[in-house]
Amino acid sequence: MISEKKPGKICRYGMAIDIDKCTGCGACVIACAVENNVPPGNEGATDLTGITWLRVFKVDNGEEYPARQAVYFPMMCQQCGVETPCYLVCPQQAVDVDPATGVVGQMPERCLGCRYCMAACPYHSRYFNWWDPKWPAGMEKTLNPDVAPRMRGVVEKCNYCHGRWHAARQRAAEAGLRDIIPGDYAPACVEACPAGAIQFGDLNDPSSAPAKAAKDPESFRLLVKLGTEPKVYYHSKREWARRIGDPSQAPAPKEPARG
Amino acid sequence: MQNTRRNALKFIGGAAAGAVFTPAPWRLITDTALWSENWPGVPRPPRGEISARFTNCSICPAGCGVRARCVGGQPVSLAGVAGHPLSRGGLCAFGVAGHHLPYCPGRLTEGPVEEAAGAIARAAANCNPANAASPLAVCSPGETIAVLDLRPGRTASWTYRRAMGAVKNGLYLTAAEAFSGAAVDLAKARTVVSLGAPVLDGWGTPGNVLAARANFRLIQVEAIESRTASLADLWLRIRPGSASTLVLGIAAAMKKGSVTGAAAATGLTERQITDLADELTQHGPALVLPGYDCPEAWALNQLTGGWGETVVARQEAPVPEHWKNCAPVTRLESAPDGSIRTLIIDESAPGDYIPWNAIRRKLVADNPVVIAFAWSPGGYRRHSLFTLPTAVFPETLEDIPAATDSPAAVFRLAVPLVAAPAGVVNPPEFVAKAVGIDASNALRERADAIQKAGRGVLIAYADGRYTPAGQVRPDDFWKALNQGACWMDSEGRRTAPPAADFAAGDAPPADDARLPLVAVLAETAAATAPPSPLMSKLHRESNLRLGRSRAALHPGTARACGAGDGGRAVLETSLGKCEIEVVVDSSVPPGVVQVAAAPEVIDICGASARARVAPL
Repeated sequence: MISEKKPGKICRYGMAIDIDKCTGCGACVIACAVENNVPPGNEGATDLTGITWLRVFKVDNGEEYPARQAVYFPMMCQQCGVETPCYLVCPQQAVDVDPATGVVGQMPERCLGCRYCMAACPYHSRYFNWWDPKWPAGMEKTLNPDVAPRMRGVVEKCNYCHGRWHAARQRAAEAGLRDIIPGDYAPACVEACPAGAIQFGDLNDPSSAPAKAAKDPESFRLLVKLGTEPKVYYHSKREWARRIGDPSQAPAPKEPARG
Repeated sequence: MQNTRRNALKFIGGAAAGAVFTPAPWRLITDTALWSENWPGVPRPPRGEISARFTNCSICPAGCGVRARCVGGQPVSLAGVAGHPLSRGGLCAFGVAGHHLPYCPGRLTEGPVEEAAGAIARAAANCNPANAASPLAVCSPGETIAVLDLRPGRTASWTYRRAMGAVKNGLYLTAAEAFSGAAVDLAKARTVVSLGAPVLDGWGTPGNVLAARANFRLIQVEAIESRTASLADLWLRIRPGSASTLVLGIAAAMKKGSVTGAAAATGLTERQITDLADELTQHGPALVLPGYDCPEAWALNQLTGGWGETVVARQEAPVPEHWKNCAPVTRLESAPDGSIRTLIIDESAPGDYIPWNAIRRKLVADNPVVIAFAWSPGGYRRHSLFTLPTAVFPETLEDIPAATDSPAAVFRLAVPLVAAPAGVVNPPEFVAKAVGIDASNALRERADAIQKAGRGVLIAYADGRYTPAGQVRPDDFWKALNQGACWMDSEGRRTAPPAADFAAGDAPPADDARLPLVAVLAETAAATAPPSPLMSKLHRESNLRLGRSRAALHPGTARACGAGDGGRAVLETSLGKCEIEVVVDSSVPPGVVQVAAAPEVIDICGASARARVAPL
């Protein structure tokens, strides 16, 4: 559903990810799971059934040594700005596009678990809770009180750390401001990246990193040909990496060995 | 419409059918779903006052600055300290989830404390030739009691040295590394040649490495396509186990000698080896970093001109004068075989894991007493007579010595953020008490000695303020360290560390028809302690990292072994076998099994070994 228009500045939050800087360390993946109370994988969880709101993929150029090169792609919800597929197919109105932020949110308490949204998402960025959320004894004390754990049978996804956004709004309100204090809100993955590869900002602000990335010829978005206007911009100086991310840029390279 | 029973029924039926096409049933479903949010299977996050506390991560020797977000005093998330002079705001995946460690399944909280204390006290009293005739003696003449310290340089290490100094036949042992008392300065390096060191994957202080990365050209020499190899400016793929031969080859090339033998052994061309030598000498300052299997590669820095510039001697943080009357540092390999009657191993602070067979041969043959301090199962607990439980980050109060990539000495504390469970022991205090010395206040004594020396600055994390140590009162110095701070020594004149030898490294594993594969360790940066349960996100939930008990094989090799992706198999070497899960990965060279480092794997593989994989 489309939320009621909120007062204050209208933002269009997006990300700029420099994959040449990413080392694939996984700090962003873990910080995301910690922030959003994603439980450790059930014993039977695999890469198909686990929950990783943010996942880092290793992609290579398909060449053999010594021409072989690889990059790491952090992949989260790409926050489609137009014709958001998951939003369009949800029969339960459990997907929300916030007009104040442009963030595509998920309301698990409304979700029926039909997984139409997972089928519709071109980025495979939605995850289904196949098991009850369980933490080892005592570890539930470390849960973030700003985020409710989800139950078995519902879909969840990245929402640019909505709890942090709320907290930043609250701090702004306490300071007597209508809008978030610049720099006071950033998702956990942005904060955690030790290489500074992930940057976050308002695409409506020309000075923000994502807005600059949007104009950079070495930047690209994934599956842009679908016309869903994703708000995550990737950047690489390596042409083969750009072509894998956005095949419309040039002829396709050799098939990657894995990805 | 007449009020007949038939019409009433028609109205009710029509209303019921029409209701299906209204929002009402959907609303009912939504509300039903809402109830399920509070079902007992979903835990409720605790509430409380939100605060920020600062500490230093002691999970690995990097000791990154940590800002903990706490709810009601309980840390719920960890992040780096922005502006930290060493970690530069960075925190690795293991550090980000460090506050989960106390809740790891299998955490040790109970152990035979009395029995172990008695064993140490008896050994300390009797490991003395004068008492050899006593019927209570547990040591024969020439036998020793020893402490094996896996992370030397701590205040705890000094306590062990003092304790062993107080015992007649006491030995203080460290890992058999060829290089100590020195540091590297990445900021000065323009060319870095890594012989398998995981430079971009947890080596040194990750934040510092990444900050310096743009300024140096990285050449990774490694048998497998590790994370660092795939991100390096140049990756040279060598044969597994041939790094030591390459070191000698590079040294020969620098002296214009022959590299034919090195080329044949490593699989590189002669041109590649001479180019590598040229790169080191002509594009300096250069730095050579050894990997797990070739510690002698440090010595190459003496030939490149980096000795004293990119590799420097580092002063140790001051210690109280009266501590210096203690046992000397002895390398494990220097201890005579069959000489240690009682061995105490401290693996409460993870460090280098030494294969058990290298330790075993130092022990006496008949009934040696091995006491391990550990917080998790695995590790040396499998080989010890007594295992005593210890606290783990962030329960411990301990100091973290300077990391490899810090040219200046530092002193910082891992401050407890949560209380340790009842029943755990403090290893250095336990050993000190057992041999009759008092070390209960060692950290405070060390801090006072540092403050008294008046060198360096104190960096407070809360406000980022730098204060000369000499201008801070001793109590305030100690208080600041406990609130999250770091003392950093002032950098004096750069000096070269003591000369290092090109000691002959391990030879490549010989061909063995029964063991057709070569096992190569991966993920060595996180070899010892088990990580947070949340690391499943990086392992089996995304396959980003190999993860414990998993081994990667080339598709062709896996087929030849009869192993399938995700299948269970046995990894066997000449030293033993362990169970693994097979991951098929085309980036692994044929004939190689890339196995995630873990104690049980290191015990049977070492750095590299001939192996075979057989499906279960």
